[in-house]
Amino acid sequence: MSEQITVVAEVRRHDPSQGGEPHYQRFEVTGVDSMRVLDVIRSIYEQQAGDLAYQFACRVGRCGTCAVKVNGVPVLACQERCKPEMRIEPLTPFPVLRDLVVDRSEVETRYAALKLSPQRSCAHPGAPEPIDPALAEKLCHLDLCLACMVCVSACPAVAERPFDGPAFMLKLRHMALHPADSADRLPQALEAGMLECFNCDLCTQLCPADLSPAQAVRDFRRQMIFGKGKP
Amino acid sequence: MSLALPRNTTRQSESMLLGDAARVLHRLSGTVIVVFVLVHVAAQAVLRAPALAGWNAAMPWLPVVQNQPWIHAVLYFSIVFHALYGLRLLATELGARIDYRRSLWIIVALAALAAVKELARYVA
Amino acid sequence: MRDSNDFILESADVLIAGSGAAGMRAAIAAHDAGAKVVLLAKGPRRANHTRMSGGRYNAVSGANAQDSVEAFYRDTVDSGMGINDHELARILADEAMQRAYDLESYGLAWDRTEARKYYLSMTGGGTFVRTLGSIDEGIGITEVMLHQLHARSVPIRDFHMLVDVVVGRDGRVAGALALDLSRGVWRYYRCPSVIIATGGTSQLYETSSGPAINTGDGIAIALRAGAELVDIEFMQFIPISFVSPPSARGYTLTEPAHYGMRHFDPQAEAAHLVNNKGERFVLAHDPVRKEGSTRDVLARAIMIEILAGRGTPEGGVLMLPDKAVFEAFLKERPTYVKRLLENYGEAQARLEAPIAVTPSALYTLGGVRIDPWCRSRVPGLYAAGEAAGGVHGANRLGGSSMPDIQVFGRRAGMAAAEEAKARGPVAAADGVSEARARAAALEACMQRSGGMRPVEVKKRVQKLMWDHVGLVRSGPKMEQTLRAFGDIRSQVLPAIKVTGASRILNREWMEYLELENMLDIAEAMVASSLLRKETRGAHYRTDYPELDPHWTANVWVRREGAATKVERHAAARPGAADMQPNEQKATAQ
Ligand SMILES: Cc1cc2nc3c(=O)[nH]c(=O)nc-3n(C[C@H](O)[C@H](O)[C@H](O)COP(=O)(O)OP(=O)(O)OC[C@H]3O[C@@H](n4cnc5c(N)ncnc54)[C@H](O)[C@@H]3O)c2cc1C
Ligand code: SF4
Ligand code: SF4
Ligand code: FES
Repeated sequence: MSEQITVVAEVRRHDPSQGGEPHYQRFEVTGVDSMRVLDVIRSIYEQQAGDLAYQFACRVGRCGTCAVKVNGVPVLACQERCKPEMRIEPLTPFPVLRDLVVDRSEVETRYAALKLSPQRSCAHPGAPEPIDPALAEKLCHLDLCLACMVCVSACPAVAERPFDGPAFMLKLRHMALHPADSADRLPQALEAGMLECFNCDLCTQLCPADLSPAQAVRDFRRQMIFGKGKP
Repeated sequence: MSLALPRNTTRQSESMLLGDAARVLHRLSGTVIVVFVLVHVAAQAVLRAPALAGWNAAMPWLPVVQNQPWIHAVLYFSIVFHALYGLRLLATELGARIDYRRSLWIIVALAALAAVKELARYVA
Repeated sequence: MRDSNDFILESADVLIAGSGAAGMRAAIAAHDAGAKVVLLAKGPRRANHTRMSGGRYNAVSGANAQDSVEAFYRDTVDSGMGINDHELARILADEAMQRAYDLESYGLAWDRTEARKYYLSMTGGGTFVRTLGSIDEGIGITEVMLHQLHARSVPIRDFHMLVDVVVGRDGRVAGALALDLSRGVWRYYRCPSVIIATGGTSQLYETSSGPAINTGDGIAIALRAGAELVDIEFMQFIPISFVSPPSARGYTLTEPAHYGMRHFDPQAEAAHLVNNKGERFVLAHDPVRKEGSTRDVLARAIMIEILAGRGTPEGGVLMLPDKAVFEAFLKERPTYVKRLLENYGEAQARLEAPIAVTPSALYTLGGVRIDPWCRSRVPGLYAAGEAAGGVHGANRLGGSSMPDIQVFGRRAGMAAAEEAKARGPVAAADGVSEARARAAALEACMQRSGGMRPVEVKKRVQKLMWDHVGLVRSGPKMEQTLRAFGDIRSQVLPAIKVTGASRILNREWMEYLELENMLDIAEAMVASSLLRKETRGAHYRTDYPELDPHWTANVWVRREGAATKVERHAAARPGAADMQPNEQKATAQ
């Protein structure tokens, strides 16, 4: 059923703490053709390069920590199928800790600054909080974001302009729709650079969780124009 | 009709990055339009303003360019693409739900149609 | 250590290891009780088991009028086959719903049928439809909790691996040693209380459902620090997991696909399981409940088929799903439908074609022995969540870990904060020299050149555990395994080498540290499995295939010097009324 294939992977290696220039190391890996990029990386580590630094945990597209660039496109290593030839690089534009692992502390600082928990004006009732079932479903979908930063890495507006990035817009939208949240999220979105978005939907195309941060931006913009807040 | 499944996102790096393509096309088509307008203004100027007639000699390439059918095709493509894509952007921001993939292909197709039509005018 | 720059001193009131829900809930509670909290995560903070889970949450919400807290308690004890710590099980049943409301107050939106009525479904075991859920599953639970920590400015230290807890001369916790993997420096936290919320040990097995970080570190650390373990011989296996692709092998396929209409109705039939001859082999194991049987029975039945060569070429059996539940499944668990599509194909995602499944290690039922306030035997050392034992006994209800980690996470945080307040800061010099010595010893492997690589040894341990201390166990094989572990410890471990010299994110170095913990737990598991000469719940022995009432008891494990001691202790006797089986109760209603 499953065929064997051999793939060639060029992996970017760099230890910033040691200085020196990044270089690409070539590996050949043989395995079943359903291998994911992560399988290739793990095999390289297990068989060929014990000193390779890489990150993963859940291996099923949930923790969002394995994101890398494959042939220039940001993807989740554990979900992306392996290619006959691929160049594997750490996720840009984040600072590299070593080899394929990036430092996400700045991302966390941004999340924290956005205050992404419902700002309650009155306490939770201690009984099912009244939320329309359809809205609850929508909130859950927005909350499926992995914080993988694939969209931020791909976003052309982030590269060109002062814009925090699509993932943050999505989380702000989640709060904007949450019935228990009393804060006004539109100024926050504006502050985070919402108007810089090109509305190009690259984030929608690449999001491994089938989310659309671009839609979140559009919803905020419509809210800005027509002044409609909570649904 | 069967319910739509979630997307299969295991071949992301193989697909064309539509957003990038659209954005680049939008910028290019905009540039084409601006350049056309500039050239057009210059051409009209040398034709209509006797004082500038001397420039005519300095631009021997102008008639050559003006007579290239493909340039007209590119121009028509650019105008239609730029206008429709811009309208699409506006419409979505005002609340229209438009599929970004399908709409892009439709806009490209319409723009190409305009270009082909323009070409056909010369060929005929 | 190269120099003292590699050893940094810090302090906290409450140090928490683990950024899963148990650790985060503890951090919220301890912070709200006024303690200065530091939370360590071995990887990035989102790399935890809770995030991977289906997030199904057992609690008595009132949406099913027939259900009651009492029934939940009884289901828990029945499923645990009577050896649960009854007090802990009672607390779980009592407090689960309050903690579910806490999650909602953090921003989670439980699925509902009406604005004020939750949507319920069934999970593995249990007699009533009672399980809450949300479409965002474990991702949603961890995300809303993380933002609560952000709101409280609780420092979260990513890539900080807890290595050991240091106990002072007074027998109390003095501090904890951690390795900052992202910088390659040691940090010693002086602190009067430490909470172990490091999750389970599923990485001890070749095929496991959990994340790569679950190597049982915290449980081993607690054992070394003087705490006792309980029920550690019980490892829960989930019957239905993905067979391929390699990366996803072992990941749980989720129960709705398997349960079919049983997901909503305890009387309905679950999806049939067939071997490569097309036989419904489960009928031989449980003719009454058939494929709706408990996880332990199903997992074992599948494993036996695979071992007997009646599996598929990829090493699984086939599940024939009921496509009638597809629509509900798609609405309730879109993420799982997506994974089915990506891993197997469209027909499988639509539940229209047979789905290949294999059992995998899911949940560590045992762990650090705790009291109702999560205290271990060592003053100042607490444990909560999957790292603690006793709540679920010999088998866990599906959907009972989520309330467990919330209920006991909170209790641990409150108790640890109180202890820190009562005791005040730890004296400056306490434990520092011990911690330094330990850190220096753990650097030795960085200098060696010969020897095996940690990953090779890890695989060997995982294979031994899977083959002999997994679903099907027997005395002689386990004796043999115990000896093999002894050899690894005495001969292989001291000679392990680490390939790269970089101190930054040196995975082999981390794996070496994990390996010590894995061996500690593996030995404790084998030793207690050997002692338990019967079959009960998740523990199945071919040489003692029957349930033995004498063993309505727990095995406690502790360390004496380098030796692992196992002891049988009669289970806390529940009151006579508690012994009534649930079935009778349910039909009597
Ligand atoms: C696929 C799947 C589905 C599941 N579905 C459900 C379900 O629907 N309902 C249910 O009730 N249960 C479910 N479970 C079980 C449940 O997910 C776990 O039991 C639960 O999440 C454990 O939570 P925890 O907080 O105790 O630990 P974890 O979430 O495992 O967190 C452990 C934390 O400890 C950290 N850590 C580990 N070692 C160290 C160290 N040395 N130093 C510092 N930090 C360390 C890790 O980084 C991690 O952050 C499921 C499990 C799986 C695999
Ligand atoms: S739509 Fe906006 S946010 Fe999304 S990738 Fe394009 S520019 Fe970035
Ligand atoms: S929106 Fe999608 S791509 Fe962006 S961080 Fe969230 S899951 Fe990743
Ligand atoms: S390993 Fe968790 S998302 Fe890939």
